Amino acid sequence: MADILKNRQLQLVVLVLSFLLVFVPYFIDIPQLDAASSELVVITSIVTAFTVALAVVSQYQRGMHYIVKRSKGWPFKAYMLISIALMLVFALFGRDSGPYEWVMLSIINPLSSVNYSILAFYMSSTAARAFRARNTKALLLLLVGFIVILYQAPLTGAMFPGINPIGVYFGATFVTAVGSMFLISVTVGAIVFGVRVLLGKEPSVLGSGGRE
Amino acid sequence: MAALVYYYITSGKTIHIRRIPGLDAIEEAVGRSAEMGKPVICSFGIDTFNYWTLAGLAILSHVARLTARTGTRLIVPTGGDNAALIVRPVAEEIVQTAYKLEGAEERYNPDDLPFLSGQQYAYTGGYIGIMQRTRPGSVIMTGSHYSEAMNIAETSNAVGAITITSGCYISNVAALACASDYILIGEEAPAAGAYLSDDPAQRASIKVQDLFKWLALGLIILGLAAYSVGNDWIIRLLAT
Repeated sequence: MADILKNRQLQLVVLVLSFLLVFVPYFIDIPQLDAASSELVVITSIVTAFTVALAVVSQYQRGMHYIVKRSKGWPFKAYMLISIALMLVFALFGRDSGPYEWVMLSIINPLSSVNYSILAFYMSSTAARAFRARNTKALLLLLVGFIVILYQAPLTGAMFPGINPIGVYFGATFVTAVGSMFLISVTVGAIVFGVRVLLGKEPSVLGSGGRE
Repeated sequence: MAALVYYYITSGKTIHIRRIPGLDAIEEAVGRSAEMGKPVICSFGIDTFNYWTLAGLAILSHVARLTARTGTRLIVPTGGDNAALIVRPVAEEIVQTAYKLEGAEERYNPDDLPFLSGQQYAYTGGYIGIMQRTRPGSVIMTGSHYSEAMNIAETSNAVGAITITSGCYISNVAALACASDYILIGEEAPAAGAYLSDDPAQRASIKVQDLFKWLALGLIILGLAAYSVGNDWIIRLLAT
């Protein structure tokens, strides 16, 4: 059975059929196709839900293997497994109140916020490296960066009113143009990538590391 | 466009395509790590199956074969919310198959694909911790990475690794361009599978991307010129 499911041709057939089932109803109004497409989306959600259960089982199996063998870092695995079990129990009392909510609001969210705010320091250190006027291009980057930072700062409008129209000009021309270029190139890439996938020329999508 | 790609792939024509420095650098980065005896870290993002994740997986597939061939340790930090869990088994399969194809199956270690967290910034903390402890020779971070990408790229730079990244939205690309040694922009990441393959027909499909990019570039220059003289018609067209 496993061999049949791993058959490359079969996987490609399922892939192409799934693609057609979702893609065609966008252009042709056939109620049966619409219904089949919705069913497929439901099936995908169910499969995804099963992967969550499988992931928990898999984590327990691997974690226990670490703990039993006393491999390096096993106390962290034990801590993780205990945390999973505790959160599972907490969730039984409800997610919007009680211990589950307390852990989320008092521990996880503040820690995530701290990690997110550290981003500002990473941005500063990157900017310090990038904004060095080593050549003409870097000088241009430095000047534009300086103007945009001033434009974004709250008091600039009052102290240096001349900066605002320049900042707006950069936003309306170069930023819009580059953003659109990025979107266009991504769209072009997506179409070309999609054709390669449907022709079976992207083996990684099916989980194989190359042509076999 | 799809018809043109189909034509190039099926015709088998050998066509000259431009070099993509970010993709060329992958081989160099893995080679450098092998020489230094340091591991390679390669991640494909924290989202479910989407355009960027698939691109990241294509690159992971290539990197896994290179590391298997050179005997370099490959670490693949994984994570993401419930929807992303479906990607992890595919990544495991890709790495395992790559090692099998290179005749190095015994070196495949499933513990080198750790699941770090379902929370974005807990994942980031775990990723950074791995980099600090293992001091990798190169970090190849492509796929669906979001704001955490900057933390990872900057730490990678701090530990002295060659940093190759791709950003999946424009402000991320701008920041990563400053933080990384090489960056894959726009359609370059999903083109990896074709670019790095030995199949000339697949590589030719990249030509189609470039043709349409030149067309878009022409439109943008026209739009800038038109806006400068007070006409915003092309900007409105591109914005829709």
